[in-house]
Amino acid sequence: MKKISLIFFSAVVALPVCSGLVYASLYSLGIVGVLNSGVTLENWSIVIFGSPFWASIAFSLYVGIISISLSLLFALFIALSWRKALKNGMLSTVIYLPLCFPATVMAFFGFQMLSKSGFLSRLGFSAGIIDNLNSFPALVNDAYGIGIITTSVILVTPFFVILFTNLYQTEKISEYKELAITLGASKLELLHKVTLPILLKKSYATICLFVIFVMGSYEIPLLLGRQSPQMISVATLQKIQRFNLYDIPQGFAMAVLYVLIVVGFLLVLYLKNRNFFQAETHYK
Amino acid sequence: MSTILEIKNLGKKFGKEPILRDINLALKKQEVLSLLGSSGSGKTTLLKIIAGLDTQNEGHIFLNGKNIDNEKPQKRNIVYLYQEALLFPHLNAFENIAFGLRLKKETISAIREKVNKMLENLDMSKHAKKMPNQLSGGQRQRISFGRAMVIKPELLLLDEPFGALDAITRTKMQELFKQMAELMQLSALFVTHDLKEAIVMGSQIGKIQKGKLVQYKSKRHFFEDEFSGVKQEMDFWAQIHSNDR
Amino acid sequence: MKKLLQILFVLSIVFPVVFLLLLSLGRRWAYPNILPAEINFENWEFLQKSDSKLFQAFFISLGISLCVSILVTVIGFFVSKTIAFNKFRNVYLILAYVPYLLSPVIMAVIFQYYFIITGLTGTFLGVIIAQFLIAFPFGIIIYLNFWNTKLKSIEELSLTLGGSRWQTFKYVLLPLSKNAIALCFFQVFLISWFEYGLTNLIGTGKIRTLTVSVFNFVIEANIYYAALACCLLVLPPMILLYINKSLMFFVEKSKTLS
Repeated sequence: MKKISLIFFSAVVALPVCSGLVYASLYSLGIVGVLNSGVTLENWSIVIFGSPFWASIAFSLYVGIISISLSLLFALFIALSWRKALKNGMLSTVIYLPLCFPATVMAFFGFQMLSKSGFLSRLGFSAGIIDNLNSFPALVNDAYGIGIITTSVILVTPFFVILFTNLYQTEKISEYKELAITLGASKLELLHKVTLPILLKKSYATICLFVIFVMGSYEIPLLLGRQSPQMISVATLQKIQRFNLYDIPQGFAMAVLYVLIVVGFLLVLYLKNRNFFQAETHYK
Repeated sequence: MSTILEIKNLGKKFGKEPILRDINLALKKQEVLSLLGSSGSGKTTLLKIIAGLDTQNEGHIFLNGKNIDNEKPQKRNIVYLYQEALLFPHLNAFENIAFGLRLKKETISAIREKVNKMLENLDMSKHAKKMPNQLSGGQRQRISFGRAMVIKPELLLLDEPFGALDAITRTKMQELFKQMAELMQLSALFVTHDLKEAIVMGSQIGKIQKGKLVQYKSKRHFFEDEFSGVKQEMDFWAQIHSNDR
Repeated sequence: MKKLLQILFVLSIVFPVVFLLLLSLGRRWAYPNILPAEINFENWEFLQKSDSKLFQAFFISLGISLCVSILVTVIGFFVSKTIAFNKFRNVYLILAYVPYLLSPVIMAVIFQYYFIITGLTGTFLGVIIAQFLIAFPFGIIIYLNFWNTKLKSIEELSLTLGGSRWQTFKYVLLPLSKNAIALCFFQVFLISWFEYGLTNLIGTGKIRTLTVSVFNFVIEANIYYAALACCLLVLPPMILLYINKSLMFFVEKSKTLS
């Protein structure tokens, strides 16, 4: 029975990714697929030595890091300033509301808000700040990913607020603060020598995981991004789904590279942060 | 010897419920006052009020003759030690001890010297770079002490510091504390529910029960007091001894 | 001042819901009007007709998500228990993190071929299986957060007291695991319910879930129906929130620092 469980687990978890990688690699090398003309490294060299793929990765990383950094800033401010209201009271329930919104809905909402014909633009017009549609700044489908970043921040911040509120309790930060006070710490010192180090150190791995999540996001950049640079999921899918059959192997190469990058990330995270994956079921 | 801590008519209510009633207490410099108190006696509240982490409803606190009722806890130079060692989880042993010194903006060399000396006194020099989760309960308690004592507080408040330790480690820590107290000329309030520990640790004894405090004039007075529990202990052991014959 | 900010914050959270609701009720929204010109329930009434696409989409989504969450919750419970107390628990955990971290769309891209050759693309079964493949690792991670040595000891205790494996499961493990099971069920439900990219790719657009509908309406430039689909998308999670808000939030635990 136990063996079956382990085999089932390995099959479900490892097989799709591995077999998918095999197929994708074979396709990108020209061994299988509609255009299979024999082994060729051409697609891989286009992807690796060309700029679009790396531009995508860089852009995705940029969006991921900025979004998470901003979310952390807001979340820490909210979780620490409004601690009491978050523990009991309306805010403690309302903060869970954004978790009901998926990326799809946020993307749609973000577009309706931030586009040139969107709600904010209309407000601006009514308030006399802009005098026609085109004066409204390009917040979506723009070069800096402002729309993507804004929407991602709105999506992620409530999660971190809840996380930090919970951590504050479980890590007994109040007690550490009291201790530090009697050792002579001022309010500011409490914040940056006790509260922030403990909260951030404890949530470090989760923060890294979230950067990876935002990097790989699909729906938001699909609606709010533009042709170039594109985030990696959108870019890869576009290559696969375009009519240009020669793009498809490149798309697969990109997919393989992306998987390797994420797995690499995960390994680094594991090696530097073994505690995170530790549990209380260690049987020696 | 002069009085370092004096408490006059201190009272504290939690809503309508009185936690501390008319507390009076006097501690002389370089003395350790043991307070016998179990949970629910109000001992933790009393200690927190003295440290400035909570405020009283009535009464006054004097440190070295000065009224500190309105003094912020950062400025009182009174350190409060929890039962759990509460080492900062993101700092190693050395940095934990150095914490208070860094807040006082002492020079790097002064910090290094003081912390290393303290680690030596605590017999923990080998463990300076270890993180709290790599230390045992007794070791953590030592570092916790070191952190409090290295900044030379006027007064140390200990809230059942050895409660979570096993019997052997406990005895070792009691000896260590007595040594350090003498070495650093500490004044301290030591709260415990253990009768023997109270007698061993303090030069003076008091008892706190249901919000009321009694400070005995001397240990002898304590032993002879009907309600201190000492007589019962002695009778107990005497009974066992006679049954044995 | 603090109160004011908090109230503003609460309003800013509630605003999207209100906005989408209003939009879903609208018909024409010419620039630069702030509100749609017409607001009536016509759009929502369209929903009521049982042959309406949205009506079907809602139940398609519901059916798929329920299937996936039941499968993951039940199978995951037993598989995770075995893994939790295995020597190589950490290896298995890392393995589970790989599909968890990868973007579902890209995973769909790389294993789509196998769905094509087995004829599963464009079918319900195909979408269910594909979603199962990305949700199962997550379920395992949730359960692995839950199993600990104390539970193992309680299970062993029950056995030494004479309980059979079935009795131990029914009367000891199950009651203690209720929270974890509920958490896994709802978290996986939400993952499936909210999933777009993978569903669209494996379902080749034939399987019209609510999320697929939102994007379809956007492409058709029918923002009113898109808003309506969004409202429907958000509805079950909000009901869930009302039942038990803690089921909406999951984060991987790690050993306390101290």
